Amino acid sequence: MAVLSNRLSRWTLPMFTCALVNFLAAQGLILAGLTWPAESISTSGTLAAVHLLVIGWLLLLVLGALFQFVPVITSRPLVSQSMALVTLIALETGMVGMVGGFFSIGAGYPTLAMALPLGGLAVCLGVLIACWNIGVPLIRSRPLPLPGRMILTGLAFLILTVTLGFSFALTLAVPVLAPYLAPLLAGVGDHALAGLGGWFTLTAMGVSYKLLPMFMLAPEERGIAGDSVHILGTVGFALAVGAGLARVWSAAGPLRTAELVGYAAVAIAVVLYLWDVAKIYRTRKRTVVEAHNRAAIAAFAFLGLGSALAIGFLMTGHLSVGAPAIVFLIVFGWLGGLGLTQLYKIVPFLTWLSRYGSSLGRGHVPRVQDLVLERRSYPWFALYFLGVLVGALFGLLGSPRGFRACIALVTLATVGLVIEYWRAWRGHYAHLRHGESATPPFLPTQRG
Amino acid sequence: MPEPLTLDVRDELRNGGEPLPRIFQAVSRLAPGQALCLLVTFEPLPLYAVLGRKGFDHKAVRHGEGDWEVLFSPQVPQAKSASPAATISKESSTAGWPKPSTYLDNRGLEPPEPMIRILDALEHLGPGEVLEALNERDPVFLYPELQARGAAIHTEKVNEGVRLMIRRAG
Repeated sequence: MAVLSNRLSRWTLPMFTCALVNFLAAQGLILAGLTWPAESISTSGTLAAVHLLVIGWLLLLVLGALFQFVPVITSRPLVSQSMALVTLIALETGMVGMVGGFFSIGAGYPTLAMALPLGGLAVCLGVLIACWNIGVPLIRSRPLPLPGRMILTGLAFLILTVTLGFSFALTLAVPVLAPYLAPLLAGVGDHALAGLGGWFTLTAMGVSYKLLPMFMLAPEERGIAGDSVHILGTVGFALAVGAGLARVWSAAGPLRTAELVGYAAVAIAVVLYLWDVAKIYRTRKRTVVEAHNRAAIAAFAFLGLGSALAIGFLMTGHLSVGAPAIVFLIVFGWLGGLGLTQLYKIVPFLTWLSRYGSSLGRGHVPRVQDLVLERRSYPWFALYFLGVLVGALFGLLGSPRGFRACIALVTLATVGLVIEYWRAWRGHYAHLRHGESATPPFLPTQRG
Repeated sequence: MPEPLTLDVRDELRNGGEPLPRIFQAVSRLAPGQALCLLVTFEPLPLYAVLGRKGFDHKAVRHGEGDWEVLFSPQVPQAKSASPAATISKESSTAGWPKPSTYLDNRGLEPPEPMIRILDALEHLGPGEVLEALNERDPVFLYPELQARGAAIHTEKVNEGVRLMIRRAG
């Protein structure tokens, strides 16, 4: 019986914890006086906040989830549990170095600016190790179902994103290299598109294609629609990013056309995906939709809204004007929103498994849903998404004060949700309902 | 077909020894196609999986209290009819298992209900009894719990999902 290696991913909950701390820290930075998204995204403070968000919050969150999720869809273990810890440490320290580096550049301390490429190098290492850790079980399980294929595609975009990011870091921090690499900086938008689109969005879509049907009991087979989302999304992001980068060196007209074709393909993929997600909700066999999937509808709406705005600004030729607000909508509304809502299921589920798994069949065990009190979560989700929506509006209107007021609401809601995750983990509601002891369950460890 | 190689580790086990190295040594000395006949004091469940991965089938006979004879024979290479991913087998076969005494249809249940039902049912089985379950998905979180309880499992992919045969420790 030694083959039975699929168990709880040991570092997933610690990664979620770090991710949430980083998310709150980034909100704190914005509250402390950064004006994003009301001004250009390339000021050093904004760059620091953005990387704290995408590496510290979203990347740790998604990789932590994949460390648990990939063994579930492939029935194969990660290559190494301890390497997941190495990824966590490399990403966290690397991200802190990068944030410090951005601030040093902004404050005019060129020596300390080396923290940026050094931190970036650590992030690259953490990412490569994670890709190997997740990629091997995925590649060995071919032919893969749709979610696995989308994650693999996402990983390729992730590697592209960090490679580009690392070369930017060298350009900014190492003056000797600047003349050779500086033209690349024009491709900073493509770096963002590869990361937020090719990596995060395609991966989130892939994971949702598994999790939504699983907990709502809808057909998992997505057929042509699912395949089209994957192919159009992949080709679209690849064309847009590839042609965008090529335009750094060449002004050839066909490149612009290719870039626009790429955006169009992505737009079709998003529309198809949202249509398909609506179909999953419609064709579900469970009558009751749990809180995490109810609240997730708002995240899907933000994907639609962010994409529609992007297309609108692109068509009027003002994409750079709208970009900060669009990035905000995608990071906070779509990816962050989906993350927060799904954590509301993943945290209780993992806690329940690690805490009660061994007692199943041997006396009374609470249900997973006994670990949460759903009505407590709804006001926080509502406040969060409302804050993001109005905040983006203030960002577009160029009102930093209004924007920060909205971020304060978002922070309040995030703290409220963190308390609910904490209560699920502590067994707070299970205690109130069944008199279960409210001691912290052990972290998931490998047994046997 | 060469005669099986016989290895008796009963005395070593009774004296509190650790015969695993000797067993692996014996396995590495086997001629192609040769089987290993192992004499032990208990049914060596963990060894089934370890040697199963090395391509051995097992057949256990209990001669008396603390007296087991297990024959590990090399598997005959199977015709490549199924794709490699089609079988997610933990026990290579259910040969020698009794007929299932419980049947669970776990389709249409959201996670973790199938796992809860299986572990509930397992606790109601007698020693050595078998339950059969039909799940929509491979229940990956169930396996460590079965392992902790010493149960043996055989899984196979079928059209409707995954068919599980689970035998309670004897």
